[in-house]
Amino acid sequence: MAYLELAALKKVYGKDIEAVKSFNLKVDKEEFIVFLGPSGCGKSTIMRMIAGLESVTEGNILLEGESIIDYQPKDRGISMIFQSYAVWPHMTVYDNVAYALKLRKISKEQIDKTVKEVAKISDIYQYLNRYPNNLSGGQRQRVAVARAIAIKPKLFLMDEPLSNLDAKLRVSMRTDLKRIHQELKTTSIFVTHDQSEALSLADRIVVMNHGYIEQIGTPNEIYHDSESMFVAKFIGSPPSNFLTVKVKEREDKIFVIHSDFELEVKNKYKKALKNKYINKEIILAVRPENFTINKKGILKVKCNIIEPQGSHVVINIFVGGEEIKVVSNILTLKTNEEIDLGFSEKIAFFDIETEKRIR
Amino acid sequence: MNSAGKKTLFYLAITFIAFAVIIPMMYLINISISSAIEVNDFPKRVLPVLSHDLSIEWDDESSYYIISRKSFSGEYEELTYSSKFDKIETYLITYLNISKTEEEIEEDFIVARNTGDIIYLNYNKDIFNNFGKFFKVFDGASAALVNSIQAAAITILLSMSIGGSIGYALARTKIKGKDAISLGSLVVRMFPAVSISVPMAVLLVKFGMYDTMLGLAIIYSIPNIGLTAWITRSIFMSVNPEFEEASLVFGASKIQTFKKITFPLVLPAFAASSMYAFITAWNDTAVSLLLTNNNETLALLIYKSMGGSASIHYAASGAILLILPALAFTFLLKNYINKMWG
Repeated sequence: MAYLELAALKKVYGKDIEAVKSFNLKVDKEEFIVFLGPSGCGKSTIMRMIAGLESVTEGNILLEGESIIDYQPKDRGISMIFQSYAVWPHMTVYDNVAYALKLRKISKEQIDKTVKEVAKISDIYQYLNRYPNNLSGGQRQRVAVARAIAIKPKLFLMDEPLSNLDAKLRVSMRTDLKRIHQELKTTSIFVTHDQSEALSLADRIVVMNHGYIEQIGTPNEIYHDSESMFVAKFIGSPPSNFLTVKVKEREDKIFVIHSDFELEVKNKYKKALKNKYINKEIILAVRPENFTINKKGILKVKCNIIEPQGSHVVINIFVGGEEIKVVSNILTLKTNEEIDLGFSEKIAFFDIETEKRIR
Repeated sequence: MNSAGKKTLFYLAITFIAFAVIIPMMYLINISISSAIEVNDFPKRVLPVLSHDLSIEWDDESSYYIISRKSFSGEYEELTYSSKFDKIETYLITYLNISKTEEEIEEDFIVARNTGDIIYLNYNKDIFNNFGKFFKVFDGASAALVNSIQAAAITILLSMSIGGSIGYALARTKIKGKDAISLGSLVVRMFPAVSISVPMAVLLVKFGMYDTMLGLAIIYSIPNIGLTAWITRSIFMSVNPEFEEASLVFGASKIQTFKKITFPLVLPAFAASSMYAFITAWNDTAVSLLLTNNNETLALLIYKSMGGSASIHYAASGAILLILPALAFTFLLKNYINKMWG
């Protein structure tokens, strides 16, 4: 049985604004789940429903096999980190961390011990007597973390906790969160719209769009085996390139035809294309790094714009009037230089209507 | 303009403002400790005078002491003469605010008689004399003080509880016509309390609340409820809902959350608006003139006491008494108002 189960969860605001449409997810114990999606996709709403801050319109939430939707937030045994940290400004750091413990009527010595313990884990021990106004954003964030782990929650919810930090701090805080998860092994759900956070933290990522689940999978599955065009476009920086192509069959070989090139499909998708898509238009999706340059390519193109990124370059190329982005580690490429572009094995096809993967 | 010029202008302005406030205050304090004789002095002194320079001369012929006082110009002007020390004692306390016993006076004055010289004495004034006299001269001043405190306390209670609730509701609920209500509450604030109190006088008589502090406080509360609602609404809105949500998630009930999180965060707004409520109730004379008969407030009593020059110094000390609680209250609240949580 799953540790946490979200069964056909639904949230409707007002009369007909569906924020979440039948959401199903099973989470194992000690797992780190990330909800990823653009703003307004319903990911925060689900988190708030789990925490009890938002009522459930339909469906059920089971924690350790027990339905918790009728419980008050305080009785759910959940802790949460908020986007604004929500560290109470009128209490010292110590009181912030001890707040939940005091409400649980734990003895003073035990509270003191726990507070100091989690303060050490989250590296705020020297700030315990300060007020949050005297702390930096990163330090406040750590206070929020300490407060959340102090109660040894059944479930650890994080609602875009890193989005208010500056870029550098965000990366280091990300590592800290991962380290804390590895130490404490608390089942965690993390909401973000930042794909690099999702990829680096998650055991499994739930990609959401418009209240639907687009794909659930490990970071590698999500990136290399995107289930829908939305996922392929949303994940990756720069995202996948999409080219509209037509499927043709010639002498038992399957080709996808673009105005500028023809590509023979040899891999596992050959059968699927042959069955349903002959003479139809489909989408060819290629991640920017899945191109070959100057290695027996299939079309000659000019490098339009070159953006050096240090370890690699991003090249803008026009193929049949469509702009695509190619990542290459050939750092010596020059603007307007002609290159021989090819595709690696890792290409994917999407149905143009359903935007789903063709397998 | 260069920065030095700007700075000079700035300090000039500050100095002007300081003097505009300080000089009338000093003048008031000076009058409040003036004796009956000093009230008629001209020119008046700005700095408070704490003692009198007296000269005592023994007139051997008529066998009495001639008592003179050093005036503003430096000359000694004769005040009175007497040979009886109990009469001198009464004179000194009544006209000069000098409280000395008969024996002390005799001890000092006898020197003039024995030596035949003019002797010069510097007697300190009893600066609290006027305050005591104020309560004696104006009947019911102490009752008026109690009344004023009562009226202010009830006003604060009413405006905080009703206005605060309205403020919370306006900030945190989605009711229709919210903007109209909050704007309306400000419009009420625009009405002069006097214009409300004329029709209210009739109502208060019907309710048996005429000439009571509760009745007065209700009138004072009317404009303050709106103001409190307005002030607290904006601060309730500025409290991040995540502060409350965090408290709920971490194990607090809704009531505990309000008590431990929301209320401490909005306390500055309540402190500020209770100060407004206090000042309305404390300083008002017009409404209490209309709505009280026997139970005057202190402000009204002082207003009425400013009759003639014979009692102006007592009225001034009453005015000082009126300022002190307001000052104390402000300083008490200052700490809370400063604690605006960012």
